[in-house]
This record gives sequence, structure tokens and C-alpha cells, in this order.
Amino acid sequence: MEALSLRDDVSDKSALAGQNTLQLIAFSIGEQTYGVEITTVREIRAWNGATPLPNTREFVRGVINLRGTIVPIFDLRARFGDGQTSPTKNHVVVVMSVGDKWVGILVDAVSDILTVSKDDIHNVPEGNSIDTELLNGIVTHESRMVGLIDLHAVVSGAKMDG
Amino acid sequence: MSDLDDFKATYFDECSELLTELEEQFAAIEEGERGADRLNAVFRAIHSIKGGAGAFGFSALVGFAHAYETLLDYVRDGRVELTDDVVNLCIRANDIVADHVNAAQSGEDLPADYGAEEKSRFDALARGETASEDDDMGGEMVEEFDIDFTPVMVNLDGGGSGFAAGEAPVEDVFEAAPMEAADGQWEIRFTPHRALYARANDPLLLFRELAALGTMQVRAILSDVPPLSDFEPFAVYCAWEITLVAPGLGEEAIREVFEFVDGDCDIVIAQAGIVPGAGLDLGDFDAAPAPTEPQEPDLSSLLALTEEEVASPARPAEPLPSFAPDLPAEPVGAQDKFEEAPALSFADLAAEIPPPAPKIEATPVAAAAAKPASSEGEEGGGRSVGVQSIRVDLDKVDRVVNMVGELVITQSMLTQQMDETLRARYTELVRGLEVLAQTTRGLQDSVMAIRAQPVKSVFSRMPRLARELATKTNKKIKLETIGENTEIDKTVIEQLSDPLTHMIRNSADHGIESPEKRLAAGKPETGTIRLSAEQAGGNILIIVEDDGAGINREKVLQLARNKGIVAADITPTDEQIDQLIFAPGFSTAEAVSDISGRGVGMDVVLSNIKKIGGSVHVRSWTGKGCRMTLRLPLTLAVLDVMLVKVGGGPYVVPLSSIVETMQCSRASFERVPSGGRVLQVRGEYVQVIDLGQRFGLSTQTAPDDQFVVLCETEGNQKVALVVDDIIGQQQVVIKSLEENFERVEGIAGGTILGDGNVALIVDVQGLRTTHLHQNAA
Repeated sequence: MEALSLRDDVSDKSALAGQNTLQLIAFSIGEQTYGVEITTVREIRAWNGATPLPNTREFVRGVINLRGTIVPIFDLRARFGDGQTSPTKNHVVVVMSVGDKWVGILVDAVSDILTVSKDDIHNVPEGNSIDTELLNGIVTHESRMVGLIDLHAVVSGAKMDG
Repeated sequence: MSDLDDFKATYFDECSELLTELEEQFAAIEEGERGADRLNAVFRAIHSIKGGAGAFGFSALVGFAHAYETLLDYVRDGRVELTDDVVNLCIRANDIVADHVNAAQSGEDLPADYGAEEKSRFDALARGETASEDDDMGGEMVEEFDIDFTPVMVNLDGGGSGFAAGEAPVEDVFEAAPMEAADGQWEIRFTPHRALYARANDPLLLFRELAALGTMQVRAILSDVPPLSDFEPFAVYCAWEITLVAPGLGEEAIREVFEFVDGDCDIVIAQAGIVPGAGLDLGDFDAAPAPTEPQEPDLSSLLALTEEEVASPARPAEPLPSFAPDLPAEPVGAQDKFEEAPALSFADLAAEIPPPAPKIEATPVAAAAAKPASSEGEEGGGRSVGVQSIRVDLDKVDRVVNMVGELVITQSMLTQQMDETLRARYTELVRGLEVLAQTTRGLQDSVMAIRAQPVKSVFSRMPRLARELATKTNKKIKLETIGENTEIDKTVIEQLSDPLTHMIRNSADHGIESPEKRLAAGKPETGTIRLSAEQAGGNILIIVEDDGAGINREKVLQLARNKGIVAADITPTDEQIDQLIFAPGFSTAEAVSDISGRGVGMDVVLSNIKKIGGSVHVRSWTGKGCRMTLRLPLTLAVLDVMLVKVGGGPYVVPLSSIVETMQCSRASFERVPSGGRVLQVRGEYVQVIDLGQRFGLSTQTAPDDQFVVLCETEGNQKVALVVDDIIGQQQVVIKSLEENFERVEGIAGGTILGDGNVALIVDVQGLRTTHLHQNAA
């Protein structure tokens, strides 16, 4: 459908990528660019609504049906404490695997596939606690700063009282 | 290696089935059904377990099973009487076999003397009764016939294999004189049949095993080996003679080596001291000039043999009067018994003899001749007589179940799309859809039936538990099971074992009183735990009931208060107190016993049962007993639901819990002092839960346009859910939320609607209990 599979054309590129490099899928939320390692991404699909889950935090947008499996959707903007996204058809859900679970992350747009060197990854500067909590590191790519998302941290603490 | 592991896994699967079968058989035997077929079933089960164990080298298991089997064998042919004592010993032995199997499966080692006491009792029983008869093959062949008749050792290879005249044709002896080894020199003649090789047995391995028993000499008998040009690739031409010197060794031990090729070869074992010459002129068994035709035994000689058998003065007259005269008599020699009778051809020939055919069929001789040929079926595939079955990976079945579930949903979606105009225009389409609906129903039922299994598989493990508990607690406990053929989904059954174990433990430990107390209370000394299963609508009820003391409510309440499970200012009803035993960390046992009392039991019951969509209810009568009811869904895959709307989102409520629905404008709500609402239904006040409020959803629906869904939860407790709209009924496939997310309070799972959207399943029972917690807090 609207899902666009990246897996196939990506494999050639990963072959080219050396051991010391990392391929990222970059996506944007407002002006900010974030990235996740490409191997964790299962598919990218357009936002098509989600069934809200009761008793969960605001960044849990609900669940969607991914070919018969129920997958929760996390609003990354809300996760960073920036208020809920008002999604349109142009918003994108990046479905990825975290451990043995599949989760979807709602972002504004997917921008690029980046190949970065592992040496270029910097620690997140101390300061903003949400950033340090949710990011694994920061990498600069063509003068853009890309935050590496820590998926485990993003999906944790979804319950109201948890 | 992994292949072997596969075989092992299959073996353990089979073992658990066989052990279940053993429990069943003995349950019947205990009831007094002591027919031969029961014993045979038991014997077969033990034999199969032993056989596999031997193949995998579980020697402890083999040893025990063998002793057990020997006893069973004697019981079977009446040499040991099946007294209650023997039955009890056997039941205990089943437990030990089960322990051995478990130990083998988990790779643990049982103490070396585990079961030694029982084993020695087997031996004592077997010895005591049969000191002079020490051969278990005889029994194996006689068992099925009450008629006095001497079993015949037959040679599948045809008459010629190694027993040419003049050699040492020694007949196997069934009622031989005591054969205690004098000088320990044994002569063994081993004539393998084609089947032995076909089953991938290797004589070399047998010889090695024999060699381990003592000093051994093997001579191959090659006299039957034809010229190379006549060689048939699969024929067996070679036999062996073995001289084994092993002082103090019994014939039994030698037989044991050949245990697994039993029936696939001829074994003649004789003691050199007793057998002068080449085994001629033996006291009870005769060396007769065997049929000299090397390959095809002819009819006449066979029939002659039969006549010998019939006319034998040593035997009581056998029911063959009209048979004998028809036979062309051709005496072979003065002998009490004949020996080499090729089984297959004999059976064929016997059936072909024209006039007295029916009688022949009925004769033990024909039956005996046919038996070795089918002995494999007797031992291993005895079950094939009944239902034929195949083993299928559960995953595969589940895939089908899931797809059928999706199909059902698609079908109901299609049906929903048909509005009146469409119906009028496309009558063919409508008819097609109706047929589709029927077929899908049928398909669904059939698929569900594949997964359904009788609860027997779980129930049958419980008698053993009850026995052990009775011993440990020094109480007298009788376990009754009812409705064990009730069928439930396999997944449900798997989840049942733990809860049932805990419940029965609880009943035995806390419910049933000691014999003295029971007598003092005017109850029978033996306490009864009744385990029953029945189907009630879309649910299965599993009930564990005991006639013990019931729940000590005062103590429960006090403990619950001490542990902070119940706030001090709340006075729960009796029924609520009873339910407290399922609270986590709760235990009323004054002393922690090793059976129960650690406070982990009953909440495991609750969580296990909840996990499979069931519920638990307990009811107690002080001094009279206690009843715990598990209500389980018939199937886990498809759920009949009512689709409702709350705060704009779709939710489904399991139809099984819905009592009725009504419009809010017609419902009579009342305010209670705390500010909450209750609903008055036919004089009953029911707790109201506004789902929108509870789920934190905003609703635009005016209160009067809302609906009330009256649901019944466990213990006939009702709860009224307020929803925005009722959309309709449909079937849904349950999907787990936890698979990719986590458990959400008040939600039992998700499901996918016909339009592809996800709807959430309301956990009615869960809503009610969280409500209680919130009140208590």
C-alpha cells in the first residue's frame, strides 16, 4: 500500500559500508533531525490513524494493524516533551524492531539515508535531561546535527503510572 | 546429533501419552475392571517406554521398566494374582516410571536406588510365584488366549534357516525345568530374520553386549549361504552359534540382550551342562528332524504338524475335531511339539484350507501362527486399531487457525457491506455470500476441533498428585474426576496444569482435615476431592470441590488485614473474603509446609487463568467444603463480541459476559453518597463504570444517548458499562497487545476489525477489580 520497503535497495549500500561506518535512516521532527540505525527499521508507512490506548501517556498514540499484528505507535515529538503531533496524511510512521517487539514511531518526514563514521558519533552533552535520556549520541552530517535515538528509552515508561 | 534429539523429543512425547494411558488403565483397574485388554494395554505401554529408553540408553529406566514388565507379564498370564496390593504396587510403579522418564528428559540423575524397593517387590512377587518358570516369552504369547495351548515358536525365514536335519534344532522352552546355571556355560543359537535387519538392528551389537556378560565364542553357520549367483540381496542366510561362559548368569540376562530383536529372530538358549550333545533328547523339548525342505515349507508338513499339535496326548483336547480329519496326515515323528512353522505362509495356508475355514480361524494354532507376524503391531502400534492420527506441529495448526479467523472476519465484513439495494440487485451474490458464511462457519468449527483436546490429559495427572499429597499430609484423600472427555482448546489445557495442581494442593493441604478431625466432625474418614469439567455455553467450567473444612474466613480476613491486602476500615462480604485467597502473597497456612503455604499458589492460579481469558470463583461452606470454579473460554482464537463506541474509538465487549444492553435514558441510575453512580436493575443495584471516563476519553455524546451494557463477571457480580454507542455483534480474532507493547489496565487485548482498524477488547473482570483497588486505596 503506502508502505515503502527500504530493505532491498538498502542491502547493497550496507555491503558498501565499511565496518566502521553506520547507516542511518534520518527523519525530521520540525527543524530537528534524528536518526536510527537502518537495520532496525522494518518499514515506513504513511500515517493512517491509530486506535488510542487508554491509561497510557500522551506520547503513545495508540495501536495500528500491521498485517494482522498490533503495533503501538509512539509520537516522537510528544516523547521529547514538545506536545502531541497533529498528524496528517503526510506524516510518517517508521516501524522498527526493539528487542523482539515491533514499534512504530510517528515523525514528520523521513529525509535521507545517511552513512556516517562511528568515530563521528559524539556523546550527548549534559544538560537537557530528556535529550540525554533518549539519545545515544549525536553525529554531524553535512553540517546537520543528527540525534541518534535510543529506541529502548523511547518506548519505555508508556503506562500512566509507570 | 539434532536428529537424535528429534527422536528423543518424539520419544518423550510418546512417553507422556503412554503414562497418561497408564493412569487411565489403572483408574479402570482400580475400579475393578481387570480384563485382559486392560493389562495388555498396560503391558504395551510399559514395553514401549522400555523399548525407547533402551534405544536412548536410559539404563535406569530400562532396568526398572523391565522388572515391572516382568511382573505384569506374570500377572497377565495368571501366575501372579492381581490383588489390590499388586495394583497399588503397580500404581506406585507408574509414578516411578514417570519420574524416571522425567529425569531422563531433564538429564537429571535419580538416586541409584530409586525405585529399588518396588523393584525388589516385583522380583519377589515374580519369584515367589514362578520359581520354576523363568521365561517371559512364553507369557507374552499366551496372554490372549484362555485356552490351554502351547505357544509355537515360528521362524519367519522359512524352514531352512540353519536348522537342517542333524544340526541342533532346539526348541524354545516355555515350561522348562528350572534352569539355574550349573557351570555357567550357555549355548545360544541366534537366527535372525529378515525383519531384524529391516529394523536396522545389528547382530554385532548384540554380540558385543553378550560379550560383556562373560567369555564368548561365536561361530557363524554358513551352511545355508547359497552360491553367489543365487544370492538375494535382502535374504538372510547366516545364523550364529554362541558359546557363552558366564558363571552365575541366568537365562533371563541373556534373553535381555535379545529383548529388542524379540520376534525378529529365533533365539535358542540352552545350558551346556544340561544339554548333552547338540541339544537332542532334552527333557521337555524335543529335537525333531525338522522339515528338510530348505526354502518353501509345504502344506502337508505344516498340516501334519498341526495335527500333531491337535492330537498330542500331552495336551488337553483342543477344539479342532473337524479340522484334524481333513488333514492329510503325515507324521513327522513322535514329538509333543513341533517347531519350525513359518508364520506367514502358515497363516495363509491355514486360511486357504477350504471346508472348515471358519473353525481354523478360530483355532489357537492359526492365531498363534499369525501372531508373531503381527506382533509388532501388538507391541508398538496397538493404538492404530482405534483412531488414526498424525502428529502435526502446533504452529502449523495455529497458522491455519489464525487464517481461518481472518477469513471469518473478512466474511462478516463482506456480509455487512450488503445493503438492501445491493441485495435486491445481486441475488446471486447474496446467495454466494450466504454459502460462504456457512462454509466459513464449518471450516472454523473444524479447525477449532483440531485444537480441542479432552481435559483428560491434564486430569489424568492429578490422581498421582492426590496420592502423593495424601501420603505427605497423612490424610486420606480420594480424587474423583468427572467429565474428563470435555474438550478444550489445547492452549487452555496446557495452561490448566499449574492452576489445577495448586488448587488440588490447596484442597488437600488446607481443605481436607486429618482423619481424626473428620471422624470427630461426623464425616467419612476419607476426604473427597472432586475434579470435574463441563461445558456451559461458550465456556468450560472446571470445578475443584472438596468436602473439607472450608475457608476459615476469620483467619483469612485477619491475615489479609495484617498483610495490608484489605484496609482496616473495610468490611468485605463473605464472598469477597473467599476471593482473597487469590491475592498475591496471601497464605493462611499456619506452618509453611512443603506442599503449599508459601503464598504463591493461589495467585498463580488466578494469573494463569486470567492469561487465558478465564476467571476463578471460589465458594466455601464452613465445615462442609469448598468449591473453586474455573471459567474458561472454549477457544482462544475467535471471540463473539459486541462492538461499541467509546469516545469515538471502537471497543469490543465479549458477548459471553454481556447480560443485556439498554439505553441510558431508560436506565434508572442512582447516586450513592460517594458521588458514584449505581444502576438499578430489577431491584438489584449494580456498580456503574463509565468507560469514557475510565479510559480518559472525551465524549460528545449526550448522556441520554449513551448506552448501558450490563455485564456479568465472576461470581454473578454485575457491572454496568456506559458506552457512547452500540454498533453490533461480530466475531473477532483476539490479538495480543503484549506482543509488541505491554499490558494495559482494563484492556484484555486487541482485535482487527473488517476495515483494518484496531479495536480494543474491554477486560470486564479487570475493570471491576481495578475499581475495587481504587476504592480501597
